[in-house]
Amino acid sequence: MDHAEIKDLIPLKALSRLDGDEASAVDEHLAAGCDECERELASLTEALAAMAIVESGGDGLSDRIWSRLQARLDADRPPQRIEYRTVREPSRGRGFAMLASAAVAAVVAIVVSVVFFNSRMRTDSSDVSNEIAALTARVIEVQRNLDTTGNQLAALEAKVAQTTDLTLASLGPDSQVVRLAGLPASPSATGSVALNRTEGTAMLEVSGLPPTPDDKVYEVWWIGEKQGPLKAGLFEPSSHGATIVSLDLPPPGEVVLASAITLEPSSGVEEPTGAMYLKGDFPRR
Amino acid sequence: MPADNRISDEALVSGMAAGDQDALATLNQRYGLALSAVADRILRDKADAEEVAADVLWQLWREASRFDRGRGSVGAWIMMTVRSRAIDRLRARKAREPRVGDPVEHIAAEDPSSEIHSSEQRRKVEGALATLNDGERDLLRLAYFSDLSQSEIAERTSLPLGTVKSRMRSGLIRLRDALQGSIE
Repeated sequence: MDHAEIKDLIPLKALSRLDGDEASAVDEHLAAGCDECERELASLTEALAAMAIVESGGDGLSDRIWSRLQARLDADRPPQRIEYRTVREPSRGRGFAMLASAAVAAVVAIVVSVVFFNSRMRTDSSDVSNEIAALTARVIEVQRNLDTTGNQLAALEAKVAQTTDLTLASLGPDSQVVRLAGLPASPSATGSVALNRTEGTAMLEVSGLPPTPDDKVYEVWWIGEKQGPLKAGLFEPSSHGATIVSLDLPPPGEVVLASAITLEPSSGVEEPTGAMYLKGDFPRR
Repeated sequence: MPADNRISDEALVSGMAAGDQDALATLNQRYGLALSAVADRILRDKADAEEVAADVLWQLWREASRFDRGRGSVGAWIMMTVRSRAIDRLRARKAREPRVGDPVEHIAAEDPSSEIHSSEQRRKVEGALATLNDGERDLLRLAYFSDLSQSEIAERTSLPLGTVKSRMRSGLIRLRDALQGSIE
């Protein structure tokens, strides 16, 4: 399809009413960086949004939505900025485990000492029993907190490992790092792809993508000069903050023109079929 | 409490990026009902619709610092995201409980008297919609507020597929052009 034919399809793209070859052709055209069609899509999307506000009955206060938001604000903890999704097994923090065991042992020793002290100093056995119960509960609480901290430490170790991979992919002499921009399906999404063929490393960092439906997954693509779209990996976004994913390398010798992310059936597909959420062009060398 | 019309959506998002919960509350006042109404028309489940509306505003709250103003207005982002999320949820629901598409019905807003944050803008949009013929307007509504494919819309409206495509295309372009003309 040429530019004019693609532009004719942009209104249907704005309405998410394209599928099959037409959808692929429009997505590829946009991914190739046609500013005119991007502007057309953006202006039509604005018009649809305006229609939706008026047609939906207008806007205004919704107390029930605010109640839901307030509950989330109240429950919100400091966001965990990065969540890693690769198969690297965390080491679980051996040093921390030793420290935790020592801490629990110390608390138990304190409990025993206090109980012993109380048993010597008090004659009222019910007081001693209450002390034991309270201190035992405290020990259990401390153990629970230590377990939680241990899990957090293991997650941090996984993050460090992933960051190392990301750094390797980004800093090699032939590394290519490309920023991915959100498309109308998810305009606030951002991301970047780092490809280092020498180190054999390719990584994706992405944030702002909506959660996938139960039967869908995000699929990452290399857009090759000779072979067109090539599968690079599947992922589901983190519920908080950024997601970092290891990608399959593009085939040797293939010039990568762009990278893109589409929403696809959960098992993944061989050719992109769903809406494109992010894309970025590789600089020509 | 009436919505604060003096602050732009973009300024509210900047406030949200700085942790201002009042900015989030104001944005909810502006768009909350529209968000839940759009989601409700797609999902036909008020609880689900409110959850989707809250999800969209929550996503904006969490990602306010990364909102890219160069890629469109806050309002457009919100309204397109709620539609996308509602359709995703509808598809997930259908995948779990297969059901032949039900008719799309207009569900009245829960508070028709509620103030729109820009009544002038509302009049412009209504004026732009009035430039569309009935067929174009109905098809745009059907396309926006449903998860029907083009073929299903053709079947629903008893129109040839080519006519459905051309009317959706011409209607949306005419709406956009009329809105741009009313703004300029």
